Parts: sequence; C-alpha cells; structure tokens
Amino acid sequence: MTTVASGPAHTGYTCRYCRLPSDATGTYCPNCGAPVDVKATVSDSGWVEQPAVRDMAKIQFGQSYCQVEGTLVPSSDFALAPDDGVVFSHHTLLWVGPGTHLEPWSKGSFFNRSFAGMPLVLMRASGPGHVALSEDHPGEVVALPIPAGRGFLVREHSFLAATDNIDFTWLNSPVWLRVQKGNDTEYEYPIGPYIDHFNCGQSHGLLLLHCPGNLFVRDLAPGQSILIQPGSWVYSDTSVNFSLHAEYPASGGLRWGSFEYRTIWMRLTGPGRVAVRSIFEKPERHPGLVGSSGMTHQRW
Amino acid sequence: MDRLECQWCHAQNPADARSCEHCGAPLDKANLVSDSGWREAPRLRDMAKFQFSNSTCQVEGELVPVAEINLSPGDGVIFEHHTMLWKDESVPVGVYPLGGGLKRSLAGMPYVVTQAGGPGRIAFSRDAAGEIVTLLLHPSMEIDAREHAFLAASHSVRYSFERIKGLANILHGGSGMYLDRFVTSGEPGIVLLHGYGNVFERTLGAGEKILVEPGGFLYKDSSVTMQAVQLNVRTGLIRHGMYVAEMTGPGRVGIQSMYHHHASE
Repeated sequence: MTTVASGPAHTGYTCRYCRLPSDATGTYCPNCGAPVDVKATVSDSGWVEQPAVRDMAKIQFGQSYCQVEGTLVPSSDFALAPDDGVVFSHHTLLWVGPGTHLEPWSKGSFFNRSFAGMPLVLMRASGPGHVALSEDHPGEVVALPIPAGRGFLVREHSFLAATDNIDFTWLNSPVWLRVQKGNDTEYEYPIGPYIDHFNCGQSHGLLLLHCPGNLFVRDLAPGQSILIQPGSWVYSDTSVNFSLHAEYPASGGLRWGSFEYRTIWMRLTGPGRVAVRSIFEKPERHPGLVGSSGMTHQRW
Repeated sequence: MDRLECQWCHAQNPADARSCEHCGAPLDKANLVSDSGWREAPRLRDMAKFQFSNSTCQVEGELVPVAEINLSPGDGVIFEHHTMLWKDESVPVGVYPLGGGLKRSLAGMPYVVTQAGGPGRIAFSRDAAGEIVTLLLHPSMEIDAREHAFLAASHSVRYSFERIKGLANILHGGSGMYLDRFVTSGEPGIVLLHGYGNVFERTLGAGEKILVEPGGFLYKDSSVTMQAVQLNVRTGLIRHGMYVAEMTGPGRVGIQSMYHHHASE
C-alpha cells in the first residue's frame, strides 16, 4: 500500500493548481507537475487554464514518482518503489517492465460496474518496477494530489491512475433526463449514469486524470453558479452541487420550434473547485422530455 | 570545419544548422529521455526541411503534420495511397511491384502500394494527431513497422511485408497478420512513419525484454523479436489474462502513446 507523507515541507511556495505547498526551486511543482515559472493564464471571465505538465516532469508520491512524457498524448511512466502501488484500468496500459507485479484490484459490484460500462476489474501495479499508462485522445494528464480527508467527483472514464491508498467508488449521476422514445420512456444521463468518487482517508494520495483537449479550472464561491455544457465537465470538489437548466431561444412565438433549439445546460453551484475541458461530447437532442432530476427553464 | 552530429539519426551537419539536414530533428534541443530509458522522438520543427537523394522533404504543421516532398527527376517515393494529401498534377504515380496481392488483401492491407516519381511535389498525412518519425536507413538495414503506420519511403528503400508467425501473435499481437518491412541494400534511404500521439524509442540490449501494449507498437529493428504473451491477470468476469507484446533485443523499439485502433486500420 502506498503511504504518502502528510504533505511536503512548506517553503513559502504554494502551487496555484494543486494548492499544495512545495519547494519552488525546480521548474515544476513536484506534487502535480505544473510549471512554476509561468504566469497564470486566466480569462477575463475567471477560468484558469491548467498548464500542461512539463515534458519529463516527475510527480512525487510516497517513495515513488510518475514521469510524464510527451505533450500530445502524454504517457505517465510510474517508477514504483517496493510496496508502492498504483491502480488503473487495463486498457490504459502502454508498457510494463518485466519485474513489475500486476494483479487484479476489484472494488464493488461487478454487476454495477458492468452496467455502468466501467471496467470490471481494475489492475494494480506494485513495485519495484516501471509501468506506463496512456489514453487514446490528444489532451493533457491532470495530476490531482488529494489531501487526507478530501475527495473529488470525476467524470467517468476520465480516470487514468490513482495511488492504491485512494478509496475509489462511484455515485449515481445527480443529473438525468427522462425522454419519450416512441411508446417508451428512457433515461438519459448528460454526464453519464455514474460519476467516480475518489476519496482519501488517513493519508494523502495522487489521482491522475486524462483530459481530452485543454482543461480550465475555477473556484465557485458559496451560492455562485455557472452553466456549462454537461459533456465538458471533468471534475469538481465534493461540495459542488449539480442541477440542470433548459434554455429556449426566442422563436417568434413558435413554441413547437423552440424545442428543437433548446439547450440543456448543467448548473454547477459552489462552493468549490470545478474543471471543464475544451473537447466535449456533442449534446443529445431530447425532443420528448417528460421528466428530469430537477431542471429550471428560461424562455427568451 | 566543426560538424554537428544529429542525436537521432547520427548524420553530420554544419555547425550552424538548427535542424538535421538528413532527418529534420532539431539540433538545438536536448534529448528528452525518461528515467526508464525511453527517448522521445524529436518533434520536427514546423517547416523543417531535410534532404534525401536529390529531393527534399518539408514537414508542415504540428498537430497532424504533413510531409511535403519535392522530388527531383529520377527520385521517387513509395506510399499507401490513402496517405496522399495532394500532389502536382504532373507527378506520375504507378503501382509499386509487389508480390502477394491476395495475401495482402486478405490481411486487410492495401492491395497495391503506390509509387510516385519526380520532378514535382507530393504531400502525405494521416488521420489523427501525432508526429512524423523519420528513420534514416543506412545501407543494409532492415526495420519493421506496424502496418499502415508508414507514410512514405524513399525509392532506394525496398518495401516488403513479413508475415507474423504464430496464431497467438496474429490474434493477440495487435499488429494484424503482417508487418511492413523496409530494407536498404547499397544506398541509404529514409522511411517516414506517422505515430499516433507521441512516439518513444528505446534500444534494447541483447536478450533484454520489455512488455508493450500491442496497439502501442510502432516500429522495431528487424533484430528485435516480438512475441504475444499472456499476463496472468484477469480483466473481466469471463476472460482471463491479457496479451502484451514481449519485445526482445537487441535493437530499437518504437512505441506510440495513443494506441487506439483507428478505423483505417
């Protein structure tokens, strides 16, 4: 089991991306790989662009580290110390050193995982040895160190790897729609039927996500909300609330036409950190909406 | 006069060159090598130009780079027709003489490989984000590449294909039934591959092994053997074990980080 010390020594520098104090003598944060020698790129509207992990940057965890290699589709190359381990889905395995120990790592019900379209069995790689993982979309590796007692909600299938001391479960999606299809009604899930929940109990952990496209992060104040495309949501603090909002553009009184042009947003309400990606899944059209998890409406 | 050796293809260049004149690799950037020994293939600078025979190749773009080749009279390139992006109208194209058409067809490979001759320009690209890898082949070298990864090769390179032996390797090796083989005899040549995502290369010592996701394999020296092996790790309720490609040295192995099997494969 990976044991990570209770955080690095405070030396006066706190990474603006992972929010952890660290030694700022290097060119990147040792906890998340974000460069320390670049200015924050913040849009006028308040979104902070997550800088790509610098090529060949090493992210430390426990006695092990992860070296992120490449920039288009980065590979995460874990150098695992004895007794340290990482958990991942087998389809992300790129290569493995001959001495690295691989074993199945299972959590929860096979049936639920199968129903959710998630891998039935995760794999655990333990040291000493190397294992490298990558995904199949151009994008960025996002490293999220999780302090003890904290957690994140993450879009399903974004997970690349996590240290084996992180508790990994999933929750029913807080947002759903019920739509009419022929004589039947079906449920549709704008962010997928489940969301991943990563939580750290007694010790710190490291979570790695793969984000297609670019990633943008912002902090919402208590009660502050923002509308996003559901397909763009990547992760958020567990304190953030989710709901749906439908917007109908003005259509000259033709109410029937407004349904064709309706946009269904996801409203994120603070407090907490939220992250969106620039590549998102195309929203489905829902002409026969008959129910939802709770939705507000705006008719222009 | 001082000369500068390219760390990728080991050709000699003038001391003031920014990019290798033989493979296009930047000469003013340090090699990026991971602690585990994988070397990142050099990202060719946008508009970098390099020479082969009397012709030049210019690499354009960074996300899905285009290889634009300006062929001199008497020079030529071979390629799979689906990689051709544009060409001068005057550039003649023909069928590269190749046996085993039926086998290639059965294996899902293009029935014919195409060749084009100079003078004139012709450009190639592929269908996903990635990078162009230039492999300079000295005389009497052989390399094997994943099928369909090959973008173009110079006329001095002899192209053939090598059947992958063993049913397990065919079914689980992730590279189909054949590997593309590129061989030079008396003259040097150049092979351009398109790797999905980022490309990494590692040189294995004699007998040294590395286990690679089969879809991640991109190229290898023909001295490297590739064998599908099953790991005793359960990946589902019913299915037991997963297959990886065990690469055994000596020689170079190239992998691509985005190993999704695209529809074109």
